[in-house]
Amino acid sequence: MAESSYPDALPAQYRLHWYVLERVLGQGGFGITYLARDTNLDQPVAIKEYLPVDVATRRADATVRARSDEQNERYRWGLERFIREARTLARFDHPNIVRVLSVFEHNNTAYMVMRFEEGENFAALLERRRTLPEAELMRVLLPVIDGLALVHDANFIHRDIKPDNIHVRDDGSPVLLDFGSARLALGQARTVTILIAPGYAPFEQYYSSGENQGPWTDIYGLGATCYRAISGIAPMDAIARSKGILGSTREILVPASAIGKGRYSDRLLAAIDHALEFSEKDRPQSLADWRRELTAPDAAGSAAGAPTVRSDAAPAPAAAVSPSARGPIIGAVIGAIVAVVAVVIYLQPGAERDKLAQALQQSQEERQRLQAQQEELARREAEATKLLEARERQQREEQARREAEAKSAPSAEPPAQPKKPSPVVAREAKPKSEPPRARVQSPPAPSKPAAPERAAAFEPTAIPPPLPVPAAASPGTQKVESETLPAQAEASARKAENLPSEAAKTKPAEAVSTAKVAPDDRTRALQGDASAQYRLGENYETGRGVTQNYFQAYYWYSAAARGGNAAAKSKKDQMAARLQPAEIQQADKLVERLARSPK
Amino acid sequence: MNPRRPRCHQAWVALVLALLAAGCVTQEEKRDATLAVNLAFQTEYEQILAEKGVRTYKVKRTEAFVALHAALSRLGMRIESQEPEVGYINVFAPAPTPLNAREWRQVAEADLPKIRALARPHIGWAAEFINFEPQGLLVVINGTTLDSPGGSEISLTMRLREVAPPPSGMPRREYPPPTGVRLGLDKIWAQFEQELRSAGKLP
Repeated sequence: MAESSYPDALPAQYRLHWYVLERVLGQGGFGITYLARDTNLDQPVAIKEYLPVDVATRRADATVRARSDEQNERYRWGLERFIREARTLARFDHPNIVRVLSVFEHNNTAYMVMRFEEGENFAALLERRRTLPEAELMRVLLPVIDGLALVHDANFIHRDIKPDNIHVRDDGSPVLLDFGSARLALGQARTVTILIAPGYAPFEQYYSSGENQGPWTDIYGLGATCYRAISGIAPMDAIARSKGILGSTREILVPASAIGKGRYSDRLLAAIDHALEFSEKDRPQSLADWRRELTAPDAAGSAAGAPTVRSDAAPAPAAAVSPSARGPIIGAVIGAIVAVVAVVIYLQPGAERDKLAQALQQSQEERQRLQAQQEELARREAEATKLLEARERQQREEQARREAEAKSAPSAEPPAQPKKPSPVVAREAKPKSEPPRARVQSPPAPSKPAAPERAAAFEPTAIPPPLPVPAAASPGTQKVESETLPAQAEASARKAENLPSEAAKTKPAEAVSTAKVAPDDRTRALQGDASAQYRLGENYETGRGVTQNYFQAYYWYSAAARGGNAAAKSKKDQMAARLQPAEIQQADKLVERLARSPK
Repeated sequence: MNPRRPRCHQAWVALVLALLAAGCVTQEEKRDATLAVNLAFQTEYEQILAEKGVRTYKVKRTEAFVALHAALSRLGMRIESQEPEVGYINVFAPAPTPLNAREWRQVAEADLPKIRALARPHIGWAAEFINFEPQGLLVVINGTTLDSPGGSEISLTMRLREVAPPPSGMPRREYPPPTGVRLGLDKIWAQFEQELRSAGKLP
């Protein structure tokens, strides 16, 4: 089993007490998830092994050890969190919450045994279907709400609700996964970790230290998941929304009620918009409240069980929201008023004329104001359209890449292993080269199995995240530490970019695809591999797969040159010619830091 | 008589004169004028950066990065590229963002006379028609956060990037006007500290 794709994995047929490992389901920065067989009960299980590759490594005797004495403390701390996560999960016995069967320590690490679930990750399902009809969405949503209510009742909040963390069984019932981020809602104001899944994380998760978080935080994640299911895209990142809302009192998120109008019931759309209110105080304060909104009969008398929607309706483009069609009418009306006033002025003498001149001026100003509004609406419309196009393009690229990967992957699978349609346990699996951060908008293909890394992310303070991954416009999960975070764990502070609409206007593909560099390259580059650094430099220089950026090109060439790559030296000098001396100084300091950081 | 008409006429006359003036100046002269302005602005820019471009705060690097991200976002800048692991963020916005209209006027009052004086030796009287032309220009800011003995060191640089030629046809310069840099940095630091305060990281 320790095939080339998973060099750190335990071998097939390896025995852990009465569990026999069969194959790897997935690996992330925090650990490896295996498909195994419980020989006592003769049933398949999924086992998540704690193995944070940043700080620990597998020894020949199969034990896991910290890479250095300095890292040992972090390793032990993370291990305790891993075990605590298992215990947290084990408290909840609900058909819609992933079931933890056991947790044990072995090989100087820990193993979490979970029920093996077959089916499909919800993110993958949405990737495949793009949107879901209302009835189907409700069949996933309501049970998840029920399961989550149990969590809330126990005073926990999940804090990482998104399609990737919902698994849909073959019978259509959902399971909520990955409680690696769950925290006591009360009594732990000094939250150690801020989890950020751009698009799915509300604003309070970015900046509050925990006291502003509560059931409404998870409700935002559920609302965002519904928004994704009805529109085909995740809502705008809360940071991007904050720019509009806090900067100019303008909401820049196209509401669900506009995107889904005519295709979904008003009741559902209103509930989604309510859940996605920017300010936590404006959202439903409990799942019970929100459930009532979702299931209450709407004006037309329909209830959740009988949604009055077209089941196969394609999503209306966000552009349809724009009132730009009203623009010409408004313009014509204002124009006519201005013309009439102008004629009257011309015909009026003395004071009357001055008064009318004033009126004309006001009218012109009004016209300008309305035109500005019209332009702004058109701009937002264009932004929304480009955003949709860019994300679709990105998803297509991601899918193509996965398909290519999938074609080359089968040889790594042990021939004896039965191929399940989409075995998933804790969460959708992701190959090592595709860590979670890049996944939110490009969920894993249905055939990929469970990924372990996020569940082990219980306390990323001690557990460094997967080695840096290009995240870019495709939002993914990020963890940003707010308290007591060791320096290396900062690597988890990875925020996906909020899609710059201005850039989308000029070069949309670049604006939303800053991280198509092969993750392995990036990982190796950050670990000090000069060849990988050189390749990254080339990517940034040419804009291949990333937004062209001479600063970053200089940075990576410089790092490669420092690591002994001869060709990088001249490239670095070429890039330097394009930078300000102050920028070169900035980049040099970063390179210095990279060279000092532990590999 | 419409009171706006004279101003309107003035604007048209100024534009026509500016175009004529621009038309009377050769490309080489325009380039030399731009180089002169750019060089002078670069010198001032580097002085300002030495004074205001780098600060150290007693916060963790991650906290500094998050606060910087938030501060730049709130000032209307858009994220173009970021590497939290590395400690690098690159943002942009159409000029004059992060400055507002009032601040921009302040920049123009302070720096336009300087630009005209610098350009005059190269393009003569046409220098009087030089104006700030934010249209088609992006303000690009690079921010870095680094561990330092006292906490985290945050540094900022700023440049202009042309995405469309200006109406006058004058070549663009890379360095932003000094007053703009000064105001912009002050504004970013103030917002950055505000973010740290709201996160309870700064008293």
